[in-house]
Amino acid sequence: MHTRNRGMIIAFLAPALLFFSLIFLYPIFRTALMSFYNVENITSGMDAWTFVNFDNYAKLADTSLFRISMWNLVRIWGVGGLVVMTLALLFAVILNSGIRGKKFYRAVIYLPNIISAVALATMWLQFVYNPRFGLLTGVFNALGMKGMAATQWTAAGNKFWALTYAYCFGMVGYHMLIFSSGIEKIPHDYYEAASIDGANILGQFTHITLPLLKGVIKTNITMWSITSVSFFTWSQLFSTVVSDVDTITPMVYLYNQVFSGGNVVTERNAGVGAAVGILLGLCVVAVFIVINLLIRDDELEF
Amino acid sequence: MKKTIAMLLALVMMLSLASIASAEGKTIVYWSMWESTEPQGIVIQKAVDAYVAETGNKVDLQFKGRTGIREGLQPALDAGTVIDLFDEDIDRVNTLWGSYILDLEEMVKASDYEATAIAGLMGACREVGGGVLKSIPYQPNVFNYFYNQAIFDEAGITEVPQTWEAFLDACEKVKAAGYIPVTSDDAYILSTLGYHMARYLGSAGVTKVVKEGLWAEEPAVLKSAQALEDMATKGYFSPTIGSSVWPTNQNGEMALGLAGMYLNGSWLPNEVKAMTGPDFVWGCFSYPAVEGGTVGVEGANYGAQVFAINNKSEVAQEAFDLIVKLTKGEHDQMLSVESVGIPADTTNTEWPAALAGVKPVMDSLSVRFPWAAGIEDNADMTPIIKQELQKLCAGEITAQQFVDNLEAKSASN
Repeated sequence: MHTRNRGMIIAFLAPALLFFSLIFLYPIFRTALMSFYNVENITSGMDAWTFVNFDNYAKLADTSLFRISMWNLVRIWGVGGLVVMTLALLFAVILNSGIRGKKFYRAVIYLPNIISAVALATMWLQFVYNPRFGLLTGVFNALGMKGMAATQWTAAGNKFWALTYAYCFGMVGYHMLIFSSGIEKIPHDYYEAASIDGANILGQFTHITLPLLKGVIKTNITMWSITSVSFFTWSQLFSTVVSDVDTITPMVYLYNQVFSGGNVVTERNAGVGAAVGILLGLCVVAVFIVINLLIRDDELEF
Repeated sequence: MKKTIAMLLALVMMLSLASIASAEGKTIVYWSMWESTEPQGIVIQKAVDAYVAETGNKVDLQFKGRTGIREGLQPALDAGTVIDLFDEDIDRVNTLWGSYILDLEEMVKASDYEATAIAGLMGACREVGGGVLKSIPYQPNVFNYFYNQAIFDEAGITEVPQTWEAFLDACEKVKAAGYIPVTSDDAYILSTLGYHMARYLGSAGVTKVVKEGLWAEEPAVLKSAQALEDMATKGYFSPTIGSSVWPTNQNGEMALGLAGMYLNGSWLPNEVKAMTGPDFVWGCFSYPAVEGGTVGVEGANYGAQVFAINNKSEVAQEAFDLIVKLTKGEHDQMLSVESVGIPADTTNTEWPAALAGVKPVMDSLSVRFPWAAGIEDNADMTPIIKQELQKLCAGEITAQQFVDNLEAKSASN
């Protein structure tokens, strides 16, 4: 019986394991290996690779543009993440507090997620931030705030924040839904009991909602980290042809290294691109480990 | 019943024979850099249809778009996908994919192709192909100053500027007439610096500066930056030049008739034709010569999209015949009209009205710069140079600060 079961397990698991190895493990292994080679063309065979030891990683460490891209990523993840998570949690709590029109508001907040990122970014860039006839210019002019109206939102220094704000605007709804589903699972009795005991709304939030949302918070931060690391489309759309110091992210740097993006055909090295990929993967793993250490599952059942 | 079955079988046999007959023609697989809805894509489809009707060959035409070709072509070729013909920019095709493409010298000679081709562009193709012709140019383009003739007329500018002094004078007149003299977007602003430096150093000198980080060591950098600082101080640049993300100013200032000049490619009139309408008269002049320079108005970036044939293609001659169909006579003229572009066939002497001013400039060029005269040749520095240049042109930093900042930042690369 025992042997027969083992045979069945192997028979059922083998195809999945085989495909997992082929589709996930092999590319990871190949990428890790590639990061130690100079590879002019991403699809060239290994016989065309040149071993360079840790040179690709050393180049990344020495290249100020890559360091800038990493700093941009850290800021998008940290500042953007704080804003998105705070707003998403706030909206989720408000929507689950018994307000009327919950479904309508939830749909409105989620709406940017069903619009293409290309359309959204173009709207922000060419309409909202347009210094001549943009929404912000119009609003501040109408309010008589000439100084603010004259602000060039996409000038050096401002452009990063313009990008981050536009991106966060679209991401709040997605994370709000995850928080909302977590809050909906918390039994209403807890809040009733707390009210009877005299706890106000803030007390209920800090002593009931937050502790019982630990797992959901962890999920949200992990999801945010993964999407932040792969930050690419918005960056490309905010610097449509030539990459920009304020908007470049490691994924854009990787793309330029592998495919020679931009106007000019420049030297390509898929090995450097692979090294960027490995570093980004390590970042996600590090964030995941830190989050697991900081936010421990209490394994509460409710 | 038997009769019906017999007739049906006969019909099936006839259809089978017909399909065998039609399969006799060869099939050319063509990956195009255009989208099917673009003017270029529409004309290419018409040319391909005409070729198929004339020869009986088949063409598997796949519109991949720029990104599709840039990301997908080489992996597909490496994987052994049958692709006989493809197109992209002259430099990308010859530099990145040079080892995949066929030497076309024999076929060109046999068909006397060059008798009606633009000699300068054929020469450029040979130059980037390492002395061998491996690609055929079409949709020629030139990158230079484009201007709004109506604004020039209103400002009283009767001759296009040839020297830097004359250019500044023209800027002053345009400004006095109430317009923005020069506008640009982040996609093209680097050419302003590249061209100015190349007037002193040639494009090879510019490439050397950006690759070796000779910002402080090369005096032409400071001189060029000072010229641009001077323009910024005098208010000759668009007030939004420091923040404009393409195509904001191309559309909002140039096409709407608020700005006089824009250093851009000859594709500009086509890109904004929906905004300018047919009455907008375009002019063109070469980037002005500077005092003490080594390259004058004869130097600029010009090039083309090119066709190339896979060196493993089994239908190379048929693919070349299709190239001829696309780049000569009726369809070259059609492409020129529909895309407001320059014809590749020298017998198509009628250029689109919007590009009438480009012809004398194109004819006068004898020194070919690479894109942006080499200023974008160091990918790790390009975004940094762009940001500093935007600040310089916006009047936020001085020429000396521009040089110092780039020297410091290139040292850490």
